[in-house]
Amino acid sequence: MGTLSALLVAFHPNILYAAVSLIFSLLSVAGMYAALGADFLAAAQLIIYVGAIVVVILFAVMMSEDIYRGRLFDNFKRFLWPAIFSVVILSGVVKLLLQTNWSGIKDNFDRLPTTKAMGLALVGPYAIVFQYVAIVLLLGLIGAVVVARPEFHHGDHEEDQA
Amino acid sequence: MNLINNLEFYLVFSSILFVLGLLAALTRRNAIGIFMGVELMLNAAGLNFVAFQSFRKNIGGGDWLHGHVFSLFIIILAAIEAAVALAIVLRIFAAKRNIDPYAATELRG
Repeated sequence: MGTLSALLVAFHPNILYAAVSLIFSLLSVAGMYAALGADFLAAAQLIIYVGAIVVVILFAVMMSEDIYRGRLFDNFKRFLWPAIFSVVILSGVVKLLLQTNWSGIKDNFDRLPTTKAMGLALVGPYAIVFQYVAIVLLLGLIGAVVVARPEFHHGDHEEDQA
Repeated sequence: MNLINNLEFYLVFSSILFVLGLLAALTRRNAIGIFMGVELMLNAAGLNFVAFQSFRKNIGGGDWLHGHVFSLFIIILAAIEAAVALAIVLRIFAAKRNIDPYAATELRG
């Protein structure tokens, strides 16, 4: 299901349907987090990606003008070289990781609650990174507000009228 | 073969996800489409971190769940990137009335 919806994200000509199938792709990644025993990350993926980022993307889809112009392969030349490039990368990577003898890998893993260990790691060896990420988050929000702020000069407004 | 307890299953899935995100980012003529491709690639990288963390033998002792913490940082940075990218898209849309990245080729136009 994840692969199918990711295919739709890559190829669907309507950007709205691509955004909706992005939701299913992110949900399948969240399910894989849960299957790998990363319960906190599955919850964070659900809340941040599916809850926040996809909503922001769907808000931005409103500004895309030609979402109902169906054009899948009308300009095939645009797809040709990226498709060849992607197929070469995918076949190479898959061949490499199927023939690798993974040493130091368990056959099975235990699914423990990870929230306590992650919290201890965030205030232990990752405390500096944690604060750095907090500063980056603050600066990113300030930058987003500064960039998206409407200009109150008269120049842009007259250009809009024209 | 049990797929859930198989490392290669997660690695193959995340590489497929990465390549599809790369393809979306390369072929879309739409800023939002490119942005969704980047999100798919970030998800694939985070899934790889968590997969290797879960299948790793605990050799050195002191299990700090490094892969989970890195994947959490990836999610946080993707959120910041979403905010900044959508602000830029709003700005381009206010100036150009569309969000075709090939139309936004000039600075201080």
